[in-house]
Amino acid sequence: MKYLYLGATADTDHEAFAAIGSLLTAEFGLPLRPLELPPVDFAFDARRKQYGSIPVLEMVSRLCPGDAVKLVGITERDLFIPVLTFVFGHAQLGGRAAVVSLARLRQEFYGLEPDRQIFLDRACKEALHEAGHTFGLVHCPDRSCAMSLSTRVQQIDQKRAAFCPACARRLSRGVLT
Amino acid sequence: MKTHWRILVVDDEAVMCESLAAWLREDGYAVDTASSGHQAIEMARTVDYAIYFVDLKMPGGLDGIETMMQIRRLRPEASIIIITAYATVDTAITAMKEGALEYIVKPCNPEEISLLVNRTIKVKNLQRENTILRKKLTRQYRFQDVISKSPRMRAILDLATEVSSLPSTVLILGESGTGKELIARAIHYSGQRAPKPFVAVSCAALAETLLESELFGYEKGAFTGAEQQKRGKFELADGGTIFLDEIGDISPKLQVDLLRVLQDRSFYRLGGAEEVRVDARVIAATHVNLQEAIAAGRFREDLFYRLNVIEVRIPPLRERREDVPLLAQHFVERFAHELGKDISEISEGGLKVLMDYNWPGNVRELENAIERAMVTCRNQTLGEDNFAFLAQNGAYAKGWAVPPSMSIQEMEKLLIAATLQSVEGNIKECASRLGIDRSTLYEKIKRYEIPR
Repeated sequence: MKYLYLGATADTDHEAFAAIGSLLTAEFGLPLRPLELPPVDFAFDARRKQYGSIPVLEMVSRLCPGDAVKLVGITERDLFIPVLTFVFGHAQLGGRAAVVSLARLRQEFYGLEPDRQIFLDRACKEALHEAGHTFGLVHCPDRSCAMSLSTRVQQIDQKRAAFCPACARRLSRGVLT
Repeated sequence: MKTHWRILVVDDEAVMCESLAAWLREDGYAVDTASSGHQAIEMARTVDYAIYFVDLKMPGGLDGIETMMQIRRLRPEASIIIITAYATVDTAITAMKEGALEYIVKPCNPEEISLLVNRTIKVKNLQRENTILRKKLTRQYRFQDVISKSPRMRAILDLATEVSSLPSTVLILGESGTGKELIARAIHYSGQRAPKPFVAVSCAALAETLLESELFGYEKGAFTGAEQQKRGKFELADGGTIFLDEIGDISPKLQVDLLRVLQDRSFYRLGGAEEVRVDARVIAATHVNLQEAIAAGRFREDLFYRLNVIEVRIPPLRERREDVPLLAQHFVERFAHELGKDISEISEGGLKVLMDYNWPGNVRELENAIERAMVTCRNQTLGEDNFAFLAQNGAYAKGWAVPPSMSIQEMEKLLIAATLQSVEGNIKECASRLGIDRSTLYEKIKRYEIPR
């Protein structure tokens, strides 16, 4: 039996974790298993005051259990890759591991009033997006598809927590086998 | 179509290189990486990358600016984006002066890179489309773009090149679809009249009266519906060339009118009393055997001699089969772009089908066959199956093979019978095609008891 693993560090928002779990189970039709991830302090970059997503992704990849189809890791930390100011998430394209950062998905990060629902929706969409990359999907030109590229939260808000018909077809054609 | 564009990321720091490459791959691009300027230049020699992301500071004697300059020498159209962690006004100015598309400071906002890549690819797509359209336009008009390796065709092209600079009338003979208009256009656009109009008229497509008004124009009130004066094709071609296609199909009256224009270089518009003088070079073409038409009284001999100052005879495709693979590949490339299909070649089996086919419709039929095959093809290669429709229309000639046990006499009998049939019993033509004289042919027909 193969499982879709959803991992999280201890401080991760529980409600977001549960919402992501429900969505991924429904979208991929795979049984879900939770996994606690160790802290990601080792990836802290003091100069940038952020966490390197490459070492975090490497850790998630190392921890991926043998019976895992994929492992999607969730962290509250703000992630970056060296060339970019930040990333919402990072995945091995066609691989087994992905990581999602919740840090920039809250309204309060941008000095706005907190909004739980908006935060949970964004978390679900980003987790589905990064999981989609592990299944080999690339960015989709359909702005309402979960696989469309988001470089701002407004773009996350524009898309749905689901794949467009074209990405869904690509997914069903072979990525689950 | 994103994967058609390749991107090269050049940085001596592997983590920089790989993280940017991975991020771009998620966007659907094919991305390669190079860890030095030298490696990047070597890679640019073999692959035409759409975008180069080049780090400014790299060790090994070749920094980002120098790398960019060398890449631009190899690929003048390259779009190069310089990335640096140490931005100074001087380096930015130097980079832009040396032709960098953009100068970005890392870490940069993901949106900035995303917009930059999208904008560059859009420009690349437009540039590519422009190049293809330009080629398409000029290809119709230049001799060097006529696709052929047949010695007969090369001789024809040499003759056409020579006559392009002369004012003489040209008669182009050839079956339908052999490219008569293509040659006519090439003659026009290679000569001194190139800046002036090339006006093509299909004489077979119009009824006699319509053709007359098309060619010579009409005055206001010349006939019901002639509400204003209209200039004809001869006038429109003044200073340039008029191409009269299917000249063998025009009526006896128009033959007379045309003869007058060729003799006097002047004519009257329909319903007009004023003589109109024109300087238009005439290139005529026909698939009809004009000698036979003259013998049958359907075509004026004097007009024939006026038109036939320089004769260009284009062989049918079946007589220059060596051109089939070249033409077929050309059409595959053209339709791959036009139909947006990822098909690049024809299999050996597919090519054999094309070589064995007789092509009664010549190059135009081949062009249509390739388009039809590409529409239905689901692979990257056109195979035998995609040309199955050719077998159904009767012009499919099985590949010829030497029969295993046949005497020379039997072979000769079959050859004479087949040739006689193809010329419908015309002894003179049959003897000419076989390269023997008529008395020998009569003697062999009698000896082999070949029915006539």
